Amino acid sequence: MLETIAEIGSEWRRQKLPLYLFLGLCFNLILAPAVFAATSGNLSRTQAYWLGALVILTVALAIYLFFVMFVPERF
Amino acid sequence: MTSMNDFPRPYHVPSGTRESRRHTPKVEMKGLYQRAIKESFVKLNPRIQVRNPVMFVVWVGTLVTLLLTFDPNLFGTLQADISQQRLLNGLITFILLFTIVFANFAEAVAEGRGKAQADALRATRSDTIAKKILPTGGVQEVSSTELRRGDQVKVVAGDMVPADGEVIAGIGSVDESAITGESAPVLKQPGTDIASSVTGGTRLLSDELTVRITTDPGQGFIDRMIALVEGAERTKTPNEIALTVLLAVLTLVFLIVVANIPPITGYIAGFLSTASSEQAAADLRNGASVAIMISLLVALIPTTIGGLLSAIGIAGMDRVAQFNVIATSGRAVEACGDINTLVLDKTGTITLGNRLAAEFIPVNGHSLQDVAQVSLDASVFDETPEGRSIVALAERSGAKASFDPNLAEGVEFSARTRMSGTDLDGKEIRKGAVDAIRGFVRSRGGHVPNTLDAAYERVSKLGGTPLAVCQNDDIYGVIYLKDTVKPGLKERFDQLRRMGVRTIMLTGDNRITASVIAEEAGVDDFIAEATPEDKIEVIRNEQAQGKLVAMTGDGTNDAPALAQANVGLAMNSGTQAAKEAANMVDLDSDPTKLIDLVTIGKQLLITRGALTTFSVANDIAKYFAIIPTIFAATGIGALNVMGLKSASSAIISALIYNALIILVLIPLALKGVQFRPLTADQLLRRNILIYGVGGVIAPFIAIKLIDVILPFS
Amino acid sequence: MLQGWIQIAMTLLILVAITPFLGRYMARVFQEQRTIFDPILNPVERLLYSLVGVRTREDMTGWQYARAILYSNVVMGLLIFSIITLQQFLPLNPTGIPAPTWDTALHTTISFITNTNQQHYSGETYLSYASQMWGLGYHMFTSAATGIAVGIAFIRGLTGRPLGNFYVDLIRAITRVLLPISIAGAIVLIAAGVPETLAGPVVVPTLEDPAISQAIARGPVAHFEIIKELGENGGGFFAINSAHPFENPNGWVNLIQLVAILSIPTSLIYTYGIYANNLKQAWLVYSIPLAILVVFIIITAIGEYNGNPAVNALLGVDQAPNLEGKEVRFGWAQSALYAVITTASMCGAVNSLHDSFMPNGGFSTLSNMFLQIVFGGQGTGTAYLFAYLILAVFVTGLMVGRTPEFFGRKIEKREVVLASFLILLVHPIAILIPGAIALAFPDQLSGISNPGFHGLSQVIYEYASAAANNGSGFEGLGDSQPSPIAIAGGAATTTTALWWNLSTCFSLLAGRYVPIVALLLLADSMSRKQPVPATTGTLRTDTGLFTGVTIGVILILGALEFFPVLALGPIAEAFQIARGIG
Repeated sequence: MLETIAEIGSEWRRQKLPLYLFLGLCFNLILAPAVFAATSGNLSRTQAYWLGALVILTVALAIYLFFVMFVPERF
Repeated sequence: MTSMNDFPRPYHVPSGTRESRRHTPKVEMKGLYQRAIKESFVKLNPRIQVRNPVMFVVWVGTLVTLLLTFDPNLFGTLQADISQQRLLNGLITFILLFTIVFANFAEAVAEGRGKAQADALRATRSDTIAKKILPTGGVQEVSSTELRRGDQVKVVAGDMVPADGEVIAGIGSVDESAITGESAPVLKQPGTDIASSVTGGTRLLSDELTVRITTDPGQGFIDRMIALVEGAERTKTPNEIALTVLLAVLTLVFLIVVANIPPITGYIAGFLSTASSEQAAADLRNGASVAIMISLLVALIPTTIGGLLSAIGIAGMDRVAQFNVIATSGRAVEACGDINTLVLDKTGTITLGNRLAAEFIPVNGHSLQDVAQVSLDASVFDETPEGRSIVALAERSGAKASFDPNLAEGVEFSARTRMSGTDLDGKEIRKGAVDAIRGFVRSRGGHVPNTLDAAYERVSKLGGTPLAVCQNDDIYGVIYLKDTVKPGLKERFDQLRRMGVRTIMLTGDNRITASVIAEEAGVDDFIAEATPEDKIEVIRNEQAQGKLVAMTGDGTNDAPALAQANVGLAMNSGTQAAKEAANMVDLDSDPTKLIDLVTIGKQLLITRGALTTFSVANDIAKYFAIIPTIFAATGIGALNVMGLKSASSAIISALIYNALIILVLIPLALKGVQFRPLTADQLLRRNILIYGVGGVIAPFIAIKLIDVILPFS
Repeated sequence: MLQGWIQIAMTLLILVAITPFLGRYMARVFQEQRTIFDPILNPVERLLYSLVGVRTREDMTGWQYARAILYSNVVMGLLIFSIITLQQFLPLNPTGIPAPTWDTALHTTISFITNTNQQHYSGETYLSYASQMWGLGYHMFTSAATGIAVGIAFIRGLTGRPLGNFYVDLIRAITRVLLPISIAGAIVLIAAGVPETLAGPVVVPTLEDPAISQAIARGPVAHFEIIKELGENGGGFFAINSAHPFENPNGWVNLIQLVAILSIPTSLIYTYGIYANNLKQAWLVYSIPLAILVVFIIITAIGEYNGNPAVNALLGVDQAPNLEGKEVRFGWAQSALYAVITTASMCGAVNSLHDSFMPNGGFSTLSNMFLQIVFGGQGTGTAYLFAYLILAVFVTGLMVGRTPEFFGRKIEKREVVLASFLILLVHPIAILIPGAIALAFPDQLSGISNPGFHGLSQVIYEYASAAANNGSGFEGLGDSQPSPIAIAGGAATTTTALWWNLSTCFSLLAGRYVPIVALLLLADSMSRKQPVPATTGTLRTDTGLFTGVTIGVILILGALEFFPVLALGPIAEAFQIARGIG
């Protein structure tokens, strides 16, 4: 049991992607209601969440491309 | 004023034309495409895709359109027939997927060809049983992979040489055809710079050699080459890195542009719903749907060059390998294209390695017969081609070997004395550089006749090398060694000059001879009476002016210069030290290959530049195909200059073009843009016309054609 | 019609004729050769240097130069902000104007230190004479001189020299270029009828009814006016800028203004030619923006000359120039010319309302600001132009089979990052992102007066003007807070004005300082490169062919990214008008 937790802990530090995904989804909890409010009823709640996720995905891609721009050697 | 190579080293000159010697992979290419197709799907793995920024964006886009295929209203309800939306999104997903697959395919084919090349090489390196000499003196049979640097092995006739090494004892002929494609066996013996190194995978044909291993397993030249052509050790070259930056910026720019379109069209749609009609507003909103925006993004980002960039690089390495040259890095190959100055040794590179005796010129009142006889006597022990040609000419002139060689003693040539000869019954018979013989005769109390200078000058002016012969204190005459400039070199140097590459010839010959040969070969500059130190000096001088210098070399004393040069091409026949210092090794030991390498380097850069230009130029047509049709509701339909049928048809046509163009350009990426030795301005004009202007026009025609063919309304 | 075209052609001819003289003069100034002002200015400058403690002989690296700019700009910004917010306590406030709202003051401050002079206020009713002269007038010199210094440092770097010392360049740009021309120019303007007084507004009885009186605003206009044009500042003394009869009373003054606007950015290209010792290239590079400028002038002038078909139909004529929002004393030709030149160079002064132009005008003025190299801003425009050249060398230079070189200096990763970042990325980020946000909430944020395609142009124009440091306004947006007097009288501030003031601040700063730092670092890394001698294998950048290639690269890389907004804005509007609706 303890080992499993330790393993998850070390994996956590090694694998950044799940962490980022989790943070992205958390952020969406704030973003999606804002989207929902801004579109004033044109979107269903689900669509607002998906749209929020799409916005985060776009921003993540932009950050990724910025990263490529400054350290192209790693790609 | 020492002269380096009045007596040249016996360069190994391969026979046959360069084309016939071109090393073609012996492994069959069948199955290459099947494997590549399989690979191109395996490479869809995001861990691989993330290393190619442009294609990764397409990959992410494909995921989103896939979601939209299942539910077109995922990000907002569109007022359109849902099954039609589904069909459109499905088609977009499918084409985007194939855009990535095609790009993967290009890379896989390039890698596959490299692997084929590597397999052919690996076959030569297959495990052999080596006879390791133990410290105790005994011999133990071990696998070649267990050999370490410094081990000594015994190789007997019929054995494979187990690894790269240096001959420390024995003499024998080695068949190097597996590596060089050259069938004539090469004599190997210890001590000499050139003939003492052996390469793993070659076969000893006669006698027995003791070899000291100079590389650890996996570190040999063959191993390095295998790693390189397989793409395993591929690191980006400086130019690739800069290009990656530009592609990332362009991708980012278009990501921002496209991401901002929906809010803007949303505003316009709000206006249209009041000013025009609800239908127009709905049409505009559909035009800016997420799936269409992803399509627009993929059409605009430079997928063509993004998809082919790595294939171009791998294919470039492959071309180098096909020329039988091992490069230690892609950077070195790229640097070849940038070379400003080639430093070339005269002997073996510009002239045929073997200078042949053409004439005896008597001085001091001796007869022709006498000179021939003395020359013959002086050359009995000279095994170099020059020496043999002197013997042959002397025999044709009627001289005969007049003594028992066992009673005489040969005097070896050395760089210090610059003479060789024979000691016989107290007679010192010498031949060598005119200066050296003059000194020798003076030291023996003899006098130097004026006619010697006249003969020396006459030979020099003919571009030949004069050798003086003497017996004790008496100078007999001058041997005219004729130098032959390799055919076709003048044209190649002309081409190089047009490409802006300067050639400098280095020679140990005197100034007059050097200038005649330089004139005949058409080099731009020459350094006469050069010492090995001069070589590095020349390179440093050129580099101080900001130039990139390439040179060839094979001897241990070339090593510093090879290391100093931006591109150092070592001969495989050369010493280990030279090979270590160089960043490329020519397995054929053909110094003129440097010229081919310049071409390969330039071709690599041109191919990248041409496809980048083409890719960027394509954007105009894609814009004109997509924007007017998806925004048709705003009344800008007249901008649809191609007369495409509908927004869906325009999007699909542009995307199909975008995917197919990668496939169409794969052969170009692998073969490289055909290189012509033109000036930069001519090259630019030509390539701008083909890839720039062509890149603007071609997609207009192609997209229109696809639109006409598509069964879409 | 012919007269109008002749006016346009003559103006351009004068500009081209001036170029070699001013260009050579500026080269002399910044190469520290002798000029006629030496006897007076040398002691003055020495005094200044010793007062400030500048070590004049010390060259700066790119970072040092950039830091010097940033620090000095922050200090100057604080100064101007305090002058504006404290104007009611300062002298020279004849009308007793209180401080404007904080967001207006902030926006005005940033707008003036960035050489933009975007005005979300009216000079007459928002600012005292002290704020105008000490706050704004002062910055019209320093911000313009900062631009020139960047341009010169970039030219130095590109030609392999050390970048120089920012403080020395700044002072020399002011004392030897801007001040002498401004003094002479202001005197000419006064002679031509522009007022220069510290007296308050004059109150006169109206002609119609002598019982009703009218207050006519005036002030120290002439000296403000000349540096407004010469320094490509563009911030008018009065709200309606150079359309005001006191700022721009007649055709003669109008000509002086046009020439003053473009003289420095055009001449700097010639200055480059002298530095690089390659005048042929200077003229070839010169031809790129000139050609684009001429095309835009023609597009705009044709639109204005033909007028609005809807209006013409009402008038019952086939063709009548579009004179809405124009001063009749300038007519269609001078107005169109002024609009294109003011947006091409990043001046931003206006002598007509750009909002009222035909869509052709919207298209040209917007494109000018997107490209920002059609001579472009003071100093920075020239630097951008050469950054485009570097980018063109990189994209096409590989095709000659060598690592791309610009005058023997290799273009590698660092140069590509800086050049592409500055040329390709800053503008979409600073224009499209805030533009899209504003358009997503048209009612809450934008306050657009003309909804539809034209409203889109209004919004995008505002951000383009801010990001390109132009400062002109398409206008028609709710971007101004009420005047301080009105607020004192109880008027409410608006959210739209707050949004515009703050969001354009982002574009202003991003459009000014990111490129300046990138340009200086680019110049720095170019200057440190070992030049490779040219051979026949080297791509020559001083040929007609390469100039053509550069135009292609500018259009594809610089303009295409804005094609969607142009299509939805002015282009859609043009089709709309052609169809005859709206």
